[in-house]
Amino acid sequence: MADETSAAAGTSTETGAGTESNLRTTKPGTKRLFLTVSVLISFLVGAPFLLKSTEIHRSPLPSAAISSLSDHLHSNPPSFPCHFQAIFLSPFKPSDSSLSLSVAERIRAQLSAQSCGNCNFTVSVTVDSGSSCRHEGDAASAACLWECGGGGLVDAIEGRDDQGIDELLLSAVNERTGGCAGRVYSVFVMEGRDERVVIGKHRHAWMVLKDLDDSTSVGSMIGTVFGDYFMRGGVEKGEYIPVGSDGNVVLSFSLLNSNPSDWIYDWDFQRTGEVLLAPVLEALAPVANITMESQVLYHAPKSSISYWDEKLEAYVVNTRDLPFFVNSNEWHLDTSLSASGRSKVLQFVVYVPSASECPLYIRTPEGEISKTNAFISPMWGGVAIWNPHGCSMQSQGIHLVRDVLPPQELEKIIEIFIGQLRILFGLNSNYVEPSPTFKFLASEKGFTNWELDLLYRQHTCFNLLSSLSTLQSLSTLVESLPRMIVMDEIGKQVELSLEAANLAERNISLGINNASALSSIRARALAEDAFFHPSIMSISYSSMEHYFAIYMPFFAPVSLHVLLAAVKEVKRYFAERSKYLAFRASKLKSS
Amino acid sequence: MGLFKSVNQLGAWGHFKILGPIIIYASVLSVFPLGSSLWFLDGERFTSGPLTGGGVMASHTFLSLLLFYLYSFHLLRPIYCSFGSNGFETTSVPKEEEFSEELLLKPLPDYKVLAHFHFTSISPPSSSNGKHHHLFPKSIAQLVKKYKIRELELSFTQGRWNYDRWGASDPLSTANGKPPGVELWALFDIPTKEEIDATWRNLTHSLSGLFCASINFLESSTSYSAPLWGFLPNNGDLRYGALPREAVCTENLTPWLKLLPCRDKAGIASLLDRPSIYRGHYHSQRLKLRSDGLNGIVIEQTLSVVLQPIDRTSWSMHQLFKKSLTGKCALAKSSKVFLEIERSLVSQNENILELVGEADMVTNDQRDHSTIYQYNVERYSEHEALDIRVNWKKLLQVSFLQAPLHASRFLMGSGNERGSIAISLQSARNSTKGLYDNSKNCFTRVVILQVVPWYVKVYYHTLRIYVDGAIRDAKDVVEKINVTPSEDKVSPGTLEMMLQFPCGMMSAALILDFDKGFLHIDEYPPDANQGFDIPSALVSFPDFISRRIYPDSISSPLLQSYKGRNIVKSYTEVLLVPLTTPDFSMPYNVITFTCTVLALYFGSMVNVLRRRVSEEERLAKSKDKRKPGLIPLLISKISNKVRGIKEDSANQSQSSEPILGPKVVFKVVLIALIAVLGHYFFNSS
Repeated sequence: MADETSAAAGTSTETGAGTESNLRTTKPGTKRLFLTVSVLISFLVGAPFLLKSTEIHRSPLPSAAISSLSDHLHSNPPSFPCHFQAIFLSPFKPSDSSLSLSVAERIRAQLSAQSCGNCNFTVSVTVDSGSSCRHEGDAASAACLWECGGGGLVDAIEGRDDQGIDELLLSAVNERTGGCAGRVYSVFVMEGRDERVVIGKHRHAWMVLKDLDDSTSVGSMIGTVFGDYFMRGGVEKGEYIPVGSDGNVVLSFSLLNSNPSDWIYDWDFQRTGEVLLAPVLEALAPVANITMESQVLYHAPKSSISYWDEKLEAYVVNTRDLPFFVNSNEWHLDTSLSASGRSKVLQFVVYVPSASECPLYIRTPEGEISKTNAFISPMWGGVAIWNPHGCSMQSQGIHLVRDVLPPQELEKIIEIFIGQLRILFGLNSNYVEPSPTFKFLASEKGFTNWELDLLYRQHTCFNLLSSLSTLQSLSTLVESLPRMIVMDEIGKQVELSLEAANLAERNISLGINNASALSSIRARALAEDAFFHPSIMSISYSSMEHYFAIYMPFFAPVSLHVLLAAVKEVKRYFAERSKYLAFRASKLKSS
Repeated sequence: MGLFKSVNQLGAWGHFKILGPIIIYASVLSVFPLGSSLWFLDGERFTSGPLTGGGVMASHTFLSLLLFYLYSFHLLRPIYCSFGSNGFETTSVPKEEEFSEELLLKPLPDYKVLAHFHFTSISPPSSSNGKHHHLFPKSIAQLVKKYKIRELELSFTQGRWNYDRWGASDPLSTANGKPPGVELWALFDIPTKEEIDATWRNLTHSLSGLFCASINFLESSTSYSAPLWGFLPNNGDLRYGALPREAVCTENLTPWLKLLPCRDKAGIASLLDRPSIYRGHYHSQRLKLRSDGLNGIVIEQTLSVVLQPIDRTSWSMHQLFKKSLTGKCALAKSSKVFLEIERSLVSQNENILELVGEADMVTNDQRDHSTIYQYNVERYSEHEALDIRVNWKKLLQVSFLQAPLHASRFLMGSGNERGSIAISLQSARNSTKGLYDNSKNCFTRVVILQVVPWYVKVYYHTLRIYVDGAIRDAKDVVEKINVTPSEDKVSPGTLEMMLQFPCGMMSAALILDFDKGFLHIDEYPPDANQGFDIPSALVSFPDFISRRIYPDSISSPLLQSYKGRNIVKSYTEVLLVPLTTPDFSMPYNVITFTCTVLALYFGSMVNVLRRRVSEEERLAKSKDKRKPGLIPLLISKISNKVRGIKEDSANQSQSSEPILGPKVVFKVVLIALIAVLGHYFFNSS
């Protein structure tokens, strides 16, 4: 090999004699050309290997699948299968399907108003009066149809109060809709003298109407009950549900003494509060795992200003000042240490004003005093002001009062807190009846069964949407930073989360409620785990500048040499070849 | 011994992991000859029990030795127990949550003033621990419940307690002298070691969130240790860690105050004027809690500050704190201010000190070491603030009760390779015989706990003990020793040692050699050149109990805690070890240098390969004929200029090209294009 190159060099120098005369007699040698070009080519071939070997480890994220699922969910929000049935206990003439159609139409009108937790509903109408038994509409399955023979209900209802009727109808529904008892919403319609609509504590309502002939108005009435309440809970817009991504909520109750040198109030929350709140927590168990704790804090003044109102003879806080009421400098409410992981803490605060601002009331924009004397802050919690009795008469600072909040007062405050909890969860604190004929039965648990269904649906849907939005922002982040290290663990979490989200979506459409809620919670928890993974911080250690700083000192000078050599050699080769060709041509000419 | 030292020097330090235990095993073997010592080796930790009965043959008396060993432990037990329950002697369990606040002022011999704030919160045992609270801080109760803590102490200290002048053997200095920085120890109610370690890690994170400090650095296993008896006798459920460099400031005080029901809005804590208390010479903020089924949870929050009054001869509370005490915290069960005057201050001359302000009660302790003046804060209001004033009539130099031995620690040796740690114990000048518990057996026992980070690789076999300047065989002095060698990047080295010195000894010194290790480049702190801190060693004297018993007529948790059997102990200085710090830009330098060399080599090789020597020579020859080379031309030009000969203008205009020729424009445009493309590429990526 060495001999050959030296020989080649020898020939080229010999042939090089032709340069003087712009002609050369021999073919130009290709050895140096081959050498330099092969070095260049080997560099070019090696470049991908270098890039591959210095690649940042990035676990591939299924961004296409994430965006397609999220697009799908946004254009087509998950809807839960629900079955609505109207049962006429009085004879009902119109036999065409106009009634079920108008019911469905009324419900459908509500569908567009809300995006999360909607029903993919079916409506059936049953006339069950004495002898006649007629089914109409589409039921989810034959088992869900109302089994006729409930004619005696009308008589049984007579003379009972609403609570009694509610219980009676519950047992009737359980008995006659068989396996679907927990999943069917029913409205019982009967003829009567005084018109009224009552929505019960469970999953049924009943209405007494004077006239059953007009199927459109009856249908719209039934549709209102189904659509506005059973499906939507009378709420304009579904709010976020304050539940931590691990499904835990801590209710932290604090009694704040504004100025303990005036008076000090203590409470017996353990005895009164726990007893009153236990059924509520029990009722909410399917939605969230709730724990509670309480504390008493002192020297915790509010931070907004109150004014003396001559007319009311009290200090007032205007609604527009309420955002400044919570004094985060002095109210050391503390996030709870027992709240593990990503659970949500909801603060409920009882504020006892000091002597210089007592009694203290909240004034609504209409100039009236707030009935509850309380307000909420969404996703944070609620505040209730409690004025000690006769505090305005109290002479200031003469003797120290150490007292306990009277249990009946505490009960009232806790009732307010239950109402606030309902609002925080996106429900109405109490329903405003659209007409005097409407009536709502309140559950002693704070939440009726159909409201819990609604929360359950909304919670599942919210979890699903939030997990997808988290995943999507993660994938956008990862795409926007090409030098970011993405650990395999993150990739795995994202995949699992997406899998759980897909599963939840499928289960929702199939109507498997428990499984869908579980997998939606799982999807959200995994998505947040991936997003908040500590390794995401390592991005700053492998920037593009770093990469260049390491490889430039070698590749910049080397590539200069290699490129220049190749260019020169190629140029020379073509120059020499043209000389040789010219020589050949002249030779041909001469010959 | 020499043999093992040479083994150490031969083996690289990475081998210490394997050799370490053997070396120590062997070296201690040489310290305690086989005939008189006994071994228990479990894993890396070993315990050796000394035997006083000399001349016992080794092999055939093993069993009897074992029995004696165990028996000696049994004998020692009562003394161990006395280590424990220091401070908390609360006997009656209250039914409700309680809070009390106290302040103790104490003039110090160098005309400084010690202000010791003491807040106690008690939560009775109940089923709802951590759920419903009225006075007790919810976060602490939750902490105790979540991490199953039996005892915990966290201290933030700035400055060092001057044991020489401010006293070393009274309960106040024993309990409140703390090492600089953060010290945290906790006893857990958890059975397994792994669980305790995991809980400790979580606890450090919670505390670091609660107190706004970097306590979470104690999370790594290299920063905490589990002393068995050097700190507090325990069954392996104690964890101890210290951060000597943690700075302490208001951001740590505010969360600490948050645990008090009145915070600093009312009561004694309202005296805590930040500029005044942080101006002090010593500042130590502590949280100590104890929890058990019987007493519930008891928290002691103390803040000790040593302040220098502006006027040395006369000071008052208002002058010290720039605030006045106008009333008690409305939630406090008791609110008292004490003034403690040491007997040694007034014994020489009764009229040396003058007090202004009428005390509610004046008492002496049982042994007449000090006098306490008690002031009840309830009596005072905004119209009549409590202001204690102390006037010195004569300046004098005295010192308070000293510990039997004054401990200090320093480094020896130079260079970045090796060094020695020396702990020196000097006998206190004034006699402290009154403190002896049993004067029959005249030996002073000293327990030393020394935790050393792994990068300071201590050769424990090099332990040399000097008593009164003469080297002593370790077996004569060491009564008990427990060594946990450090493991690189895993755990620190812990040395627990019980020594026995004769009473008449004037001075003693312990010297340990160490090598300095290397850290990984990522492990260096940002200010690596400052050096690394070795936490304070703890020197305690188990035979000396500091207690003061006051008449029962004073009901005060602070004075109650004086009654406890507090063992006299003192912390040594923090050591600053300079380690070899690398040049942190070195990796880049290496990369650029090697790359440049490689690039030069590569480029010249390519050029050599494609060179045509004969052709170039020929070309050069032909060029020579046509026109002179660039350098000769330049030289001739310069020489012409020097000579002052002007070239003819025609020649000049011919040779110079037009400045803005098409070639130049093309080049500029090309460069601009490359720059734009490059910019676009980097931005888009």
